[in-house]
Amino acid sequence: MAMTPRERVLAALRHEEPDRVPIVLGVSNATGIKMKPYRELKRLLGIDAPNRYLYGWPELGTAEVDEETLVRLGTDVRGVWDVEPASVLERNASRPPHADYINSWGSGAREIRPGEWFPMVCPMADATTLQELEDYPWPDMDDPTRVAHVAAEAARLAADGRFAIMATPWLLFPLERAFAMQGMDRFLMNLALHPDFAEALLWKLEELCKTLMGHFLEALGPNVDIIKIGDDLGTQESLLMSPDMYRRILKPIHADYIAFMHQRTDAKVFFHTDGDVFPLIDDLLEIGVDILNPIQTSAGKMANLEELKARWGDRLTFCGGIDTHRILPAGTPEEVRAEVRRVIGILAPRGGYMVSSVHTVMDDVPAQNILAMVDAVQELGASPAARGAS
Amino acid sequence: MKRGEELLDELYGCVLSGQADRAVEVANEGLGIGLEPTTLLFDAMIPALEEVGRRFETGEVFLPEMLIAANAMQEVVKVLRPLLVAAGVETIGRFVMGTVAGDIHDVGKNLVDVMLEGAGFEVIDLGINVPAERFIEAIRELEPDAVGMSAFLTTTALEFERNIEAIERAGLRDRVKILIGGAPVDQALVEHVGADGFAPDASSAVRVTKAVLGIS
Repeated sequence: MAMTPRERVLAALRHEEPDRVPIVLGVSNATGIKMKPYRELKRLLGIDAPNRYLYGWPELGTAEVDEETLVRLGTDVRGVWDVEPASVLERNASRPPHADYINSWGSGAREIRPGEWFPMVCPMADATTLQELEDYPWPDMDDPTRVAHVAAEAARLAADGRFAIMATPWLLFPLERAFAMQGMDRFLMNLALHPDFAEALLWKLEELCKTLMGHFLEALGPNVDIIKIGDDLGTQESLLMSPDMYRRILKPIHADYIAFMHQRTDAKVFFHTDGDVFPLIDDLLEIGVDILNPIQTSAGKMANLEELKARWGDRLTFCGGIDTHRILPAGTPEEVRAEVRRVIGILAPRGGYMVSSVHTVMDDVPAQNILAMVDAVQELGASPAARGAS
Repeated sequence: MKRGEELLDELYGCVLSGQADRAVEVANEGLGIGLEPTTLLFDAMIPALEEVGRRFETGEVFLPEMLIAANAMQEVVKVLRPLLVAAGVETIGRFVMGTVAGDIHDVGKNLVDVMLEGAGFEVIDLGINVPAERFIEAIRELEPDAVGMSAFLTTTALEFERNIEAIERAGLRDRVKILIGGAPVDQALVEHVGADGFAPDASSAVRVTKAVLGIS
């Protein structure tokens, strides 16, 4: 019997097999679609919908996908997110053309070519002392305009009832925030050279993240099934920092943050981390991560889906796994279909898997390949192949 | 010369552990007692950086430790470079480096710079978001032995092909070796875009560059 999209997602999260593997695409900045492929997708489908940006933020470049397209993609979740304070949105909307986009944290993006923005404005690049942490003009996380729309939007989705609700707050992650404030190389160097400062900065950022997360969760109330956070801990070949450094400095912060969320909501915690994080998966499970994303199969041991499933598949739900390095940008639609079938065959048996691209669909992915990915999921349905039978 | 050996040991340790300020002090003290800049470079700093690279490849250290070692190296090289130039020490090759247009990622590229400098190359870094014309200009004016292009994104890796085509059109392709690097790069991409080689990480970049240029 066909399930509703929400039933499908909840079954997968309970580690039961739904009527087909759930699809998480077009929602959040980790499982989203950039504006260029979104436009092409709409053209291909003959859908006439406005070009809206996620978080009302053009410089991020990720589309806020319209309902008709989400339905066509078969996406089983719908997103709810915070926004920057109204005053910050207004200040940026009225700034001179091509000027830097500066967010409420004081960090921001610069336009390096027309329409291409990169997060490279780092206001704490040179900071190395606790005094500089004290003196920094931190943003007001109690500003009510950040979450003013959240309660009504979540209630609307809950009343509709068809879709799982995925809360996707914007960059409320301590390590990513630290990179934004200092630049990745500077902050990584501080972890090694000024660990007391680096650790204090992470705790400060977590405190601010928690303040907003508290307001966000309060506005959501019971109307949320999945809440997304994340911090990129992996690189192409291994980890960004040693397991020892992660366990000493960052893991207690992640643990505190996730415990704060689990105390306030029954929603499952969705943790996004790029790269090869194989050595940290036990740690992430231990601190309360329920869903791991994006399973970057192009990075080191993450290619070993069989081992991932065998070791952690009964306790962790995987979301992602469809390669954005080669298959989606450069593969034929048939190669995309074959890859979807392969990944589902390994990860979907006994539930605990939701299909998504590894990271947001970028400008180099043809719209046909996006459709090939989701159509392959529909075609498989609950067939034996989707249960790992060959 | 016991003090000299002590200083070389300490300099090695400072670069290895990324203590930039202390490394500069020790290097200056070494110069003060008559150690040659090349001795500091070849008997302390390069071995230290090679050791960091080895530990990185075996997973004993990670990016933070590698970055601070490279930074310490760079700070001391700033002190030594004018002295090496004045002494007429020859470099083993000239290398022009840049992150391709549309990309601003430079952590890996900067590490490769230091590795190459440490190995005796003269490195001219054109920075980030470098369009094809600037690579071409640099090849004409600086006559490098090799050009390195870096891209972090699959979307910007498309620039490798455009740049190499532009360099070919400008009639300069046979004058330089072209190396590419960054997260999306593998041997298949090297062949696809017509580059001469790639290195999977900063610590192997020197080996690959020397091999491509035929330097033993």
